Amino acid sequence: MGLVHKIVTWSRIKSPWIIHFNTGACNACDIEIVAALTPRYDIERFGIQLKGTPRHADVLVCSGPVTKQIKCRLKRIYDQMPEPKFVVAVGTCACSGGVFDGCYNVESGIDKVIPVSAYIPGCPASPKAIIDGVVKLLTGLEAKEAKAK
Amino acid sequence: MMGLFYMLVFPGFIFLSVFGMAAEYCDRKLYARLQNRVGPPWFQPLADFIKLVSKEEIIPEEANPSMFKIMPVLALTATITAFFYIPAWGYKALYSFNGDLIVVLYLLTIPTLTFFLGGWYSTSLYSKIGAVRALTQLFAYEVPLLMSILAPALLANSWSLSEIAKFYAQHPVYWFFNLLGFAISMISLLGKLEKVPFDIPEAETEIVGGTFTEYGGKLLGLFRLGIDIEAIVGSALLAAVFLPFGLGLPPVAGFLLFVLKVMGVICTLSILRTIFARLRIDQMMAFCWKVLAPLAFVQLFIDLILKWIPLK
Ligand code: SF4
Repeated sequence: MGLVHKIVTWSRIKSPWIIHFNTGACNACDIEIVAALTPRYDIERFGIQLKGTPRHADVLVCSGPVTKQIKCRLKRIYDQMPEPKFVVAVGTCACSGGVFDGCYNVESGIDKVIPVSAYIPGCPASPKAIIDGVVKLLTGLEAKEAKAK
Repeated sequence: MMGLFYMLVFPGFIFLSVFGMAAEYCDRKLYARLQNRVGPPWFQPLADFIKLVSKEEIIPEEANPSMFKIMPVLALTATITAFFYIPAWGYKALYSFNGDLIVVLYLLTIPTLTFFLGGWYSTSLYSKIGAVRALTQLFAYEVPLLMSILAPALLANSWSLSEIAKFYAQHPVYWFFNLLGFAISMISLLGKLEKVPFDIPEAETEIVGGTFTEYGGKLLGLFRLGIDIEAIVGSALLAAVFLPFGLGLPPVAGFLLFVLKVMGVICTLSILRTIFARLRIDQMMAFCWKVLAPLAFVQLFIDLILKWIPLK
């Protein structure tokens, strides 16, 4: 069992497919995420691929605070992803609500609605920070697996 | 016993999977290098596959579970079966009879039909759009592909792939006249494999994931493996019909030459996919019917004339 488990963990770390979802960002974080996907940063080096549908994805990359309108949609997208799944919150707003915290139409950070595995601060978070965050999430996963053993 | 070995190990499931993944890696790496990127590491297709297989399997509530589950398996088996009829090294395929050319082309159509049925039975709107597009596209590329592959068969006077290979090995001059057909079938193969200029049914940026929208986990992994193997089988078919050189070599050298030929076709396909952008479905229909099909007719006529006035 041990070897199979190790191989599966290795494959998960080497091939994270992401889906990008805007939960109410001001669009700056989205542009930075899109910039991180360009050939300039070449995230396919890490096996990261952008997927269009939640069914294919392992990592949900969210940007922006959760607005009241998007809350149930965010939950639904999260439920549509097959296990094991992770959520990365990109930008200060996604981490805590940021400048929009307390607005009449805003719920707060992503972690109030769905569990978040990694937080990437910054307003907006730079592409390098986003890539670093995803890689740290994956290496953290490896460490957790090692500790569990 | 021998049959089981053929089916499962060589040149069946395991060999084709490894070869298919290697080809996918070459394709992605070349694509990345042409975009001035580093590209994925060599184990990437394997990691993707293991990850997908170990993921949770979700079947939509509305979908028909048995149809939904059986389609990827069907796609995989059809492509693997097709490979047995293609002469890879040596003149003879593993199994060959008069008419296996038609059988191979037929078996290579099955994956497209499974994409359609799988998309249709998953009952999501996006996958239905993708499914209908896959079928529409089938009618566009299938005719030029069939005609351009039948033209060399006409000249060789046989419907058997092994016989065709033998004929062109004996009369190498004729090979030169089939170059047009080679180009046409290469473009049609891009459509069959749903690679970039013709990836209209998948079109991640417009209809989410097309046919595969609802597929995830194991089933998606099987579909992807099926597509990888389809690329190998399609390229091997083109190599057998249009590049029949050096078939009389000893086993190891012949095998290496075969791998080289298939990789050559695959690399050409990935260069094509780098330099073009996705077409609309109507543009693709117009291109296939107005440009490719008449050119395939020209190829047929060339071969008919050659048959009438044989070269000395
Ligand atoms: S963190 Fe800054 S850039 Fe990102 S969504 Fe919030 S306000 Fe916009």
